[in-house]
Amino acid sequence: MKVSLSWLKDFVDIDVPVQELADRLVSAGFEVEEIIDKSAEIRNVVLGKIVKMTHHPDADKLWICSVDIGNGAPVQIVTGAQNLTEGDLVPAALDDSYLPGGKHIKTGKLRGVESCGMLCSGEELGLSESDYKGAGVYGILVMNKETAPLGTDINNVLGNDDIILDIGVTANRSDCNSVLGIAREVSAVLGKPLRMPEIGFKCVKDKVADKISVEVKAPQLCPRYMAAAVSDVKIVPSDETIARRLRSVGLRPINSIVDITNYVLVEIGQPMHAFDAHKLQGGKIVVRTAKDGEKIVALDNKEYALDPSMVAICDEVKPCAIGGVMGGSNSCIDENTKDIVFESAKFMRDNIRRTSRKLNLHSDSSFRYERGIDTDSQRLGLMRALTLIDKFGYGKISDGVVDAFAAPPKRENVSVPLTKIADILGIVVPEQDIMNILSCLGLSPKIEGGVLTVEPPLFRDDIENANDIAEEIIRMYGYDHIEETLIGDKEQTLGGKPDALKAEDVIKEICVGAGYSETLTYSFTSEKGFDVLRLPEDATERKCVKLLNPLGEDTSVMRTTLVYSALNALASNALKNIKEAKLFEISAVYLPKALPLTELPEEKDRLVIAAYGEKYDYYALKEVVDKILYKFGVSPIVRRSGAPWLHAGRGADLFVGKFAIGSLGEVHPDVAKALDVKQRMYAAEIDIESLLRYRSRGYKFTETGKYPPIERDIAVVVDENVEAAKILECANKAAGKALREAKIFDIYRSDALGKGKKSVAVKLEFRLPDRTLTDEEAQTATDAVLQKLAKDTGAVLR
Amino acid sequence: MKQKIDNLIAAAKSDIEACVSVNDIAAVKVRYLGKSGELTALLRGMKDVPADQKPQIGKYVNEARDVITALTEDKQRVLEAQRTESRMREESIDVTYAERDGSLGSLHPCTLVKNEIVDIFTSLGFKVAKGPEIELDFFNFQALNIPKDHPARDMQDTFYIGDDVLLRTHTSPVQARTMMNEKPPIAIVVPGKVYRPDDDATHSPMFQQIEGLVVDKHITLCDLKGTLTLFAKELFDRNTKTRFRPSYFPFTEPSVEVDVTCSQCHGKGCRLCHGTGWIEVLGAGVVNPKVLENCGIDSSVYSGYAFGMGIERITMIKYGIPDMRILFENDTRFLRSFR
Repeated sequence: MKVSLSWLKDFVDIDVPVQELADRLVSAGFEVEEIIDKSAEIRNVVLGKIVKMTHHPDADKLWICSVDIGNGAPVQIVTGAQNLTEGDLVPAALDDSYLPGGKHIKTGKLRGVESCGMLCSGEELGLSESDYKGAGVYGILVMNKETAPLGTDINNVLGNDDIILDIGVTANRSDCNSVLGIAREVSAVLGKPLRMPEIGFKCVKDKVADKISVEVKAPQLCPRYMAAAVSDVKIVPSDETIARRLRSVGLRPINSIVDITNYVLVEIGQPMHAFDAHKLQGGKIVVRTAKDGEKIVALDNKEYALDPSMVAICDEVKPCAIGGVMGGSNSCIDENTKDIVFESAKFMRDNIRRTSRKLNLHSDSSFRYERGIDTDSQRLGLMRALTLIDKFGYGKISDGVVDAFAAPPKRENVSVPLTKIADILGIVVPEQDIMNILSCLGLSPKIEGGVLTVEPPLFRDDIENANDIAEEIIRMYGYDHIEETLIGDKEQTLGGKPDALKAEDVIKEICVGAGYSETLTYSFTSEKGFDVLRLPEDATERKCVKLLNPLGEDTSVMRTTLVYSALNALASNALKNIKEAKLFEISAVYLPKALPLTELPEEKDRLVIAAYGEKYDYYALKEVVDKILYKFGVSPIVRRSGAPWLHAGRGADLFVGKFAIGSLGEVHPDVAKALDVKQRMYAAEIDIESLLRYRSRGYKFTETGKYPPIERDIAVVVDENVEAAKILECANKAAGKALREAKIFDIYRSDALGKGKKSVAVKLEFRLPDRTLTDEEAQTATDAVLQKLAKDTGAVLR
Repeated sequence: MKQKIDNLIAAAKSDIEACVSVNDIAAVKVRYLGKSGELTALLRGMKDVPADQKPQIGKYVNEARDVITALTEDKQRVLEAQRTESRMREESIDVTYAERDGSLGSLHPCTLVKNEIVDIFTSLGFKVAKGPEIELDFFNFQALNIPKDHPARDMQDTFYIGDDVLLRTHTSPVQARTMMNEKPPIAIVVPGKVYRPDDDATHSPMFQQIEGLVVDKHITLCDLKGTLTLFAKELFDRNTKTRFRPSYFPFTEPSVEVDVTCSQCHGKGCRLCHGTGWIEVLGAGVVNPKVLENCGIDSSVYSGYAFGMGIERITMIKYGIPDMRILFENDTRFLRSFR
């Protein structure tokens, strides 16, 4: 909300510097986003009159102008502009003047002729055509209509002599989307009385009732509709006082009538509309819900199809405006308009918001209505508009107003014990301060028997309970009074993290210890990712939750796998020629049970690890995965994976029983190619919940090392395709209960062994908890392992 | 006999002195003290010694053995020490070289900050709670006193999935879910990802918040200020001060923005704080009684406070990161600078 200081001063005396005013507003809950002083940019530029123009002796295109700046000593300024004639009023930048953008003007010579300044174009003053008529013209800004004395500071002529405050108004304070509303807060923070806007006008004999009748058929959506009639209107450019104020808050002056509706909108916060009375057939306004598909061309010259949730303002036959949003072009005023009807109505906040969104049509009116208009402003707004009509002689005002009022609004008093206020704030504010603050805010407080009663005015519909009153008190009393206590009365609670989060911390520690860096990637991704990962059409990963209003295709679906995000992170590093990257992340994937959603999707946390680098290989990836599994005591079965994103020969799935808990491996060459990565990439994805579900818990003491172990090393020659897991499985199955651990410690290939063969060395460690094992027993067990290996894998002892 | 013994000692002495290696001394030891050594041979001559001299000579022989033993052992110690010394000299390596990578990976800076914040609040008795990121309109808005078509919805642009399903715009729905499922006293802290359609240097469409909620009897604005001041002192430094400014959130009343003294200039005014000396880090307030009632908690008995902050924003302040998008680039060189 932009308000100008001079406009505020119409309603309240401000005797503090603007920065202090801003600070006081901030501490009362109104953020001052910007203090704009346009006049500071333009210095020493005045209104001048060209009294004489002569050609430059040495340059065809230059003019030497003698400019009267009101002090009896005309200055000589050379200009290259060709749009001037003697007698024109122009902005003259004098010696040592400043223009927007910091441009400094000094006396100098142009082709040998002294020029004591510069005549300015609209653009050089930072003006566009909408700021000042003629400012867009190529050449010097001609200001022949100005009546200010020569030599007047151009800022005053342009209405730049005002300071603008851009104030953030919170959604609960719709009453402050107006100069008057802000002025009310200023009056409260400065302790100065509020002057209400000046109201007063004379009417002609015509009765409004003879001009217009109003019927409200939708009182639930339009609880109040006021109208007034003005005849013989003058559709002319507005008086400069109005035009300047509108410009100062960023509105473009249009004509006398439209400008008055905008002026009232900004000043009172009440949206108004002006109909051309002769375009309203039957002299009648009917407020009703729109018919389904009913069409109207609005003031933006676009056609809108309405529906029965919306309010249509109609005459006897046709819709003439979209209630609360925009007028229709079929009833708008134009240069031939003679008589007008002013509308000043209340439409319902939520309804206008819905309408405006459905039609994708937003206006200054809909902005106000969407935030809420009280039921009192209609009269004030209308009276103010008529006062301005009268003041500037823009038309003849018919006697009386139409006021279609569903039910007179009533505000309930709010009563709360003072102890409740103290209980919310934690401090006791002196009763006298409470009384002063609430009186200043217009809440008419009373304290009787320890009970505070306030009568909120209609424009303060946000005051409903003790908390609301407590806030009004403390924001004015000052938050510096709030002390610092530490939940003294609160029952002691135990803090801490749930198991799942503790587990995540443990995993992260392992990853960091192994040299991996944690990434942060978006939860939404592109459906193209599924193609990059070579997922088949019917893959479950493709069943994903889609956003209705994504920022772009790249962030349009909620991810069902972390792999694509992680590979993208790798790719972005590879693209920067970084030689090695080792990354990990724990984040959720979003798995819908049905599409479209019948319930919220499952959100499952997963760990993704991804890496590339010269020395990196599958076993480096498996090492960190194994460490995590080891920490949780989960020993899954490792099987060759058929996952489409993995290298067919270098990928594995991890199973506990028949449940897959994750996959790991080298990334499929085509996936790397699709991501433009030349290096071999590796990735693992593991379900965190599974680690928790299958974790072995409960540490129990077992005596170790009381009886000595016996170790036996065996080396067997097997076919290349016999997997380590199979060899260990044979050992574990055949060795009997004395086997503590079977471990592969070397795999060896040579020409002597032959192609397709490898020698695998296995260490078997035997030990019994209750007695010393004999060599014979160890040998028997070892033989059993060898037999099993021979039988199941064709292994030959070396 | 005695003369022979003296000669033997003298010979042994010179042999021991001549030793240069551990092997030499071992040979000397065998030559003089071994089973078939010279001293043993001398002892065999004892049978020729007259009986009355035997004790005296016997003693003399034993003394000689002790002398030679001591001399060989001393020499052996010296030579062994020399051998160890020279071995270590030969085995010398370049101790300044690092053959294996001694670095660690790294946690994301946002995780470091999140962990710090969570640790502070858990030590104050807050439990960490979680909730879904794909959320119902009811929990994200309605239960928190933001009805459909309410102007407060403009404060939080929203990614929608369906009419009533959306990506949560804040962690506050977890407040509602917790209050509906648990009885006071409630003290939770909720870290999590949230989503809003904004993308520029200070906004990311996905970012992380931390939310706090306390509900019990007699919870006041002073308790909120005390807790947050303690928090700010822990997170930034012991001299940090906090300031409340009135604001508006539909789910708290009164609502405040919380500023802390600038961690760079300590309140003097600098670029980071735009010369104000203060940095806005939190939104907070007394839980709106309407929210308590919406969640089935009797607002005439219980009250509470709530606060929320953006983890990325605090991370940027703490580490002086100028653009939020850097946090999502996942450049290893950036990530590895945090440890």
